[in-house]
Amino acid sequence: MLSSGLRNVILVAGLLFACTPVYAQIDFSGDWAPIMHEDNLERVGGPMLGDYLGIPINDAARRRAEIWEASIQTLPEWQCRPHGVDYITNGPSQVRISKEVDPVTRAITAFHAEWLRSVDRTLYLDGRPHPPEWAEHTWAGFSTAHFEGEMLTITTTHIKEDYVRRNGLPRSDKATVREHLIRNGEYLTWVTITYDPVYLTEPLIKTREYRLQPNLEIQPYPCTVVSEVDRPAGTVPHNLPGTNPMLKEFSEQYKIPINATMGGPETAYPEFRSKLKQPD
Amino acid sequence: MKKIMTKKDCLLSIVTLSLLIVCAASAYAHHSFASTYHETKTIKIEGEIKQFQFRNPHSFITVEAPDEQGATQRWGVEWGGASQLGGQGVTRYTLRVGDVVVITGRPGRTAADHRILMQTLLRKSDGLNWGNRAGEVVE
Repeated sequence: MLSSGLRNVILVAGLLFACTPVYAQIDFSGDWAPIMHEDNLERVGGPMLGDYLGIPINDAARRRAEIWEASIQTLPEWQCRPHGVDYITNGPSQVRISKEVDPVTRAITAFHAEWLRSVDRTLYLDGRPHPPEWAEHTWAGFSTAHFEGEMLTITTTHIKEDYVRRNGLPRSDKATVREHLIRNGEYLTWVTITYDPVYLTEPLIKTREYRLQPNLEIQPYPCTVVSEVDRPAGTVPHNLPGTNPMLKEFSEQYKIPINATMGGPETAYPEFRSKLKQPD
Repeated sequence: MKKIMTKKDCLLSIVTLSLLIVCAASAYAHHSFASTYHETKTIKIEGEIKQFQFRNPHSFITVEAPDEQGATQRWGVEWGGASQLGGQGVTRYTLRVGDVVVITGRPGRTAADHRILMQTLLRKSDGLNWGNRAGEVVE
């Protein structure tokens, strides 16, 4: 039999627990339009061949990009590929973020991010683990998230192979993507950090901005596979190593030394300028 | 004296608002145009439409027309996506097989593809044209 004093302590503690908010969660739900000022030229028209400037790629990535031919995207297998998890924020797609709420705790247990031109992603906040390494890889990958203060940190694994730039620079299916969402009123900063042990020597960090737009229209975006280019069946557009004549165009057009345009981690830092050679 | 909006003002407002909505909803390049096409060159073809594929991510017009050597080729002309073009009044019925068109655009980097990124289109039979008005750019 509990003493009255102990009963009172338990009662007060219970009341305090019931009244204290357990979760400090920021609501990211809403319709967001991308702000395209940062890296506008690359994100809108697209990068030129041979422009790997500032990307911390290794030789393997450079080789893959060197043999890549844009025409590969006319193949049926490529036409309707969505932008991957870590590329989609580069594009001009609007995003609709909605939330799932636990009816008992009233805590947000997941966010769903739905872009105009990519697959929907579920960001699980319920503490579930990632699947084993051998589990299926998808375009959206598997994402878990948690709050760090008012910032949402997302970890995504199990992503299909994709690209870091739309000129052939690959991103492998071994990559892990970490994102941070930071909301400042009607503005959303989306930080994306790609860790790719196959093609990147350092994490690739990008920040993108969105603005809340309550009257935004995100239309359906069905994609149909058609015959875009007439070619013999089984043909896969490519360049043999060392045969792509267009890789120097970017360097020559903008008078940027080739050892800079070929990318690599050092090209991301301002100190690299002291090492630049003049174009051949 | 309070100004009353005339019918013309009202129509202009509706058109402007529609254009703004279209621009806000339009989608940019799914792939890199700079990597796919020679952006400093222009090509012009005149020929007959063999196929018009009105879809996302990009519509395609197949045109039979001669190349620089005079040999007849099947050109794949890349146009805007259905989402973009739909907002500009283009439908799957706008162009028909058999239409004779004059198209200018950027040539593809892979010459054997005979591929063009549309800049302007003119249908000779009735003067239907695209690419000469604000917003008529393949995105």
